[in-house]
Amino acid sequence: MSRPNDLVLGTLDLLLLKILALEPLHGWAIGLRLRSLSGDVLQVSEGSLYPSLHKLEQEGWIRAEWKQTENNRRAKFYALTRLGRKQLESETANWQRLSAAISHVVLLAEG
Amino acid sequence: MRIEHWWYALPLRLRSLVARRRVEREMDEELQFHLEQKIAEGLGAGLAPAAARHRAMRAMGGLEQRREEIRDAWRIRWWTDFADDVRYALRGLRRTPGVAALVVATLAVGIGMTAMPFSMVDALLLRPYPVPRPGDVVSLVGTSRDHAFENFSYREYLDLRDKTKSYDGVIASTTIIPAGFATARGATPEVHGAMLVSGNFFSVLGIVPQLGRGFRADEDAVPGRDAVAVLAADFWRQAFAADPKVVGRHILVDGRELIVVGVAPDSFPGLMIFSRPDLYLPLGMARELSIDPRKDFFEDRDDRELAVRARLAAGTPLAAARAEIAALARDFARSYPATSRDRGAGVHTFFEMRTRADDLNWKFAIVFTFLALSVLLVACTNVAGLLLSRARTRAREIAVRLALGAGRGRLTRLLLTEALVLAGLGGLGGVAIGYAGIHGFLQSFTIPTELPVKIPFRMDARLLVAIVALAVGSAVVCGLAPALRGSRSDLATGLKAADVELPGPRRLWGRNLLVVAQVAISLMLLTSSLLMARSFRRAALATEGFAKDHLLMVRLDPRLLQYDRERTAHFYEQLTDRARAAPGVRFAGLTRNPPLGLDGFAAVAFVPEGYDMPGDRKSFTAASDTVSPGFLETMGIAILRGRDVRPQDAADAPRVALVNEAFARRYWPDQEALGKRFLLDGDPARPVEIVGIARTIKVATGTSKPQDFVYLPLAQHPQERMILMLRTAGEPLLWVDVVRGIVHDLDPNLPLLETRSYASLYRYSEVDGPGVAVHMTGTMGAVGLLLTLSGLYGLVAYNVSRRTREIGIRMAIGAGPAGVLRLFLGKGLALVGIGTAIGLALGYGVERLMNAMLFDVGGIDVVAYLIVVPAMLVVTMLAAYLPARRAARIAPTVALRYE
Repeated sequence: MSRPNDLVLGTLDLLLLKILALEPLHGWAIGLRLRSLSGDVLQVSEGSLYPSLHKLEQEGWIRAEWKQTENNRRAKFYALTRLGRKQLESETANWQRLSAAISHVVLLAEG
Repeated sequence: MRIEHWWYALPLRLRSLVARRRVEREMDEELQFHLEQKIAEGLGAGLAPAAARHRAMRAMGGLEQRREEIRDAWRIRWWTDFADDVRYALRGLRRTPGVAALVVATLAVGIGMTAMPFSMVDALLLRPYPVPRPGDVVSLVGTSRDHAFENFSYREYLDLRDKTKSYDGVIASTTIIPAGFATARGATPEVHGAMLVSGNFFSVLGIVPQLGRGFRADEDAVPGRDAVAVLAADFWRQAFAADPKVVGRHILVDGRELIVVGVAPDSFPGLMIFSRPDLYLPLGMARELSIDPRKDFFEDRDDRELAVRARLAAGTPLAAARAEIAALARDFARSYPATSRDRGAGVHTFFEMRTRADDLNWKFAIVFTFLALSVLLVACTNVAGLLLSRARTRAREIAVRLALGAGRGRLTRLLLTEALVLAGLGGLGGVAIGYAGIHGFLQSFTIPTELPVKIPFRMDARLLVAIVALAVGSAVVCGLAPALRGSRSDLATGLKAADVELPGPRRLWGRNLLVVAQVAISLMLLTSSLLMARSFRRAALATEGFAKDHLLMVRLDPRLLQYDRERTAHFYEQLTDRARAAPGVRFAGLTRNPPLGLDGFAAVAFVPEGYDMPGDRKSFTAASDTVSPGFLETMGIAILRGRDVRPQDAADAPRVALVNEAFARRYWPDQEALGKRFLLDGDPARPVEIVGIARTIKVATGTSKPQDFVYLPLAQHPQERMILMLRTAGEPLLWVDVVRGIVHDLDPNLPLLETRSYASLYRYSEVDGPGVAVHMTGTMGAVGLLLTLSGLYGLVAYNVSRRTREIGIRMAIGAGPAGVLRLFLGKGLALVGIGTAIGLALGYGVERLMNAMLFDVGGIDVVAYLIVVPAMLVVTMLAAYLPARRAARIAPTVALRYE
């Protein structure tokens, strides 16, 4: 499976859930949103985006629906489910714990 | 979380499987959308269209790879692979239709042969009571010195019901009693099966009537008070055309007017395997229907006519219930020594009741199942052999697959799936063969009883599940070895040559084993079937000593018209006198149940006068019949000494009886039994004198041991239901009208309940019934042999084709045809020899088993072995000879070029 570039392994799911928690989006828009929200730091490889989305859908965390885009094009929109919201909360908590711990270690004063 | 997860995931997964094309299209559309956006972005940045497209594709990093990753995310890979394998297997089968047809037919026969005995095992052992929570329903039985499964009397039932604490309700029911049913007074009654049940019968079992109500708990409390009836669903449809207003109607049962209060649901055909009651009456109606007129149903503690069942209370262990009832039985023995001495009681589960030691049917079913599974095993080994040969020809294909990177696990799965496809098709055929066997053969018998017997064997959902399991099991058994072997094949040699040689003795070890197993099993099957056929034939021959032809049976029951005792006696006297006087009637007599009759013989308890009773025994029991003067003569049963029952042996005359020789010899081994006396039911007031000794005949079945038997005169032991037996000058059924005329003259309303020739009863008991067993084992033996022959033929032929080049070399350097023949034949014969030896041992084991389980008689049947073994050797030799001869005739020039 192709790995997301510049992304801490395993955080793609968390990011996707978070973005979809804000509003339902199609795959293309998710990529754009991720880039803009992270100030162009985070970029997901387009190849790995769709397998991840399908995996999240199979987990029951997001739900897909075919809708019209603003320029009247049919696209597959993903939205967070109730189950997904719970998952997002637990993963967020997990992330906070993890990143705090890593920061703590990395920023230790040397000497 | 898990459940909610599936709530989302299951519809998605189903959709991916069922609407796969649509899901694929949506995936493509989604990716297409993304690409278009990306291209638009490129164009917006000023790229040329071709460059923009190229950039978009590159960003995606391989479209097909992404598609596969997405498909993986759907998690239906296992299923789609399976579907692909199935499709591939079907295509492969179409390429070799001959082998495929052979394999499928072999499996179909194997599985179909198993369906029949499975249906028997299911009906006789496994199918639960048709009630809610059937597992809680246990049987309470009385035990005595002679029997382990006895009924209880009404008084004992009341004690069981009121004094036990282990149950949520204790119910009682009689057997199915033939009763005269009419819808209006004056109409000629018809005989239907009625069952007396306790008031709580329906409520404790949890049966909710489809119309009206079941009985109330107090409706069995007062004799004769509650004249109510519940109809069985089938009877309601048949006799009342499913009239929805039947509740409240008046009907007549044995002349007593009853009100219909309810109709049982369709789901409840009763608790018995072979028969279904038409009417349910409360126990309070027992006087109207009671079987034993010499006893008082409601008072006598030894009038034991009730089967007692109970619903075990939740949380009560069986051991507690057993201890409780044993204590209660000891109470009975203390409080009522006259009727309950030496008696115990027990609790049995459903399965324990079904596997009673004194029941033959289930034992036959088990033996049949065992034999049928053996046939299936032979079929599977045959198929395994065919698949192994096929795996060899496919070695190159498999090697190519391995070279292309297929995992061995995946390859094994492919080969197993192929076996599963074959087994699935075979299973379908098996269902067809099983259906034909069950509905065309097992259900095709009419059993000569007065009330219809329901043959419970059927192809139903339970059986289908069993067949599917069998098919899957066969697929594993016959597919696993070839699959493992195939996926293990050596890559290098596999790819190399057209003739993939797998030399060395180790390679063929498996197939040799298969042939040995086949020969052994089919020899065992053939011996068993021949043994069974010969045992039954011996049994049928053993039923000598009485006439079978030119006998007419007519069953009558004046109780249907409420005759009292004198009128009944008078009627039967008149009937026999007139019948005897009719033209063409040579002898006439009355019996309760003729030899081999299906009603069973009443047991009598007696004490031989002057006999030194063992201290722990109160009385002995023997089977009995109640007969009129002339019956023994009609039946052709020889009176060895003394005399027959005479008209002078009237109700008030000194009591007399005839006994058979076995009886006489048992109790007076060194003396003349004639003139000796015994006390019937231990009654010292009226001793019974033995006035005649009859020849010992087998009264139950030919396979049983001869038993002690007593003939009592009808005049001294009045009975209502009797069978008039006539010996006629010609075809007995021609005299039915004569009897009908005589009966009509005596009472125009009295129906002839059952008219048949005695020969038909005899044929059922000694020919048709055993014929089922003989035919089934015979067919299994024949099918097993046929499969073995084709298996052996296949193996030798396979060897010949595999070693054709070697044969060519051998012949080119000087081997003669005889040597080649010996080479191949010798191998086949060695296998047959080993198989025969094992088969003989197995056959001997089965013979011991059958003798122990089914036939009281019988030692070692040497003749059977003398027939089977040489026959087996000859045909197997032929099966090996034919392909071997072909090898010997091969021209070396052809053989060397053979590929």
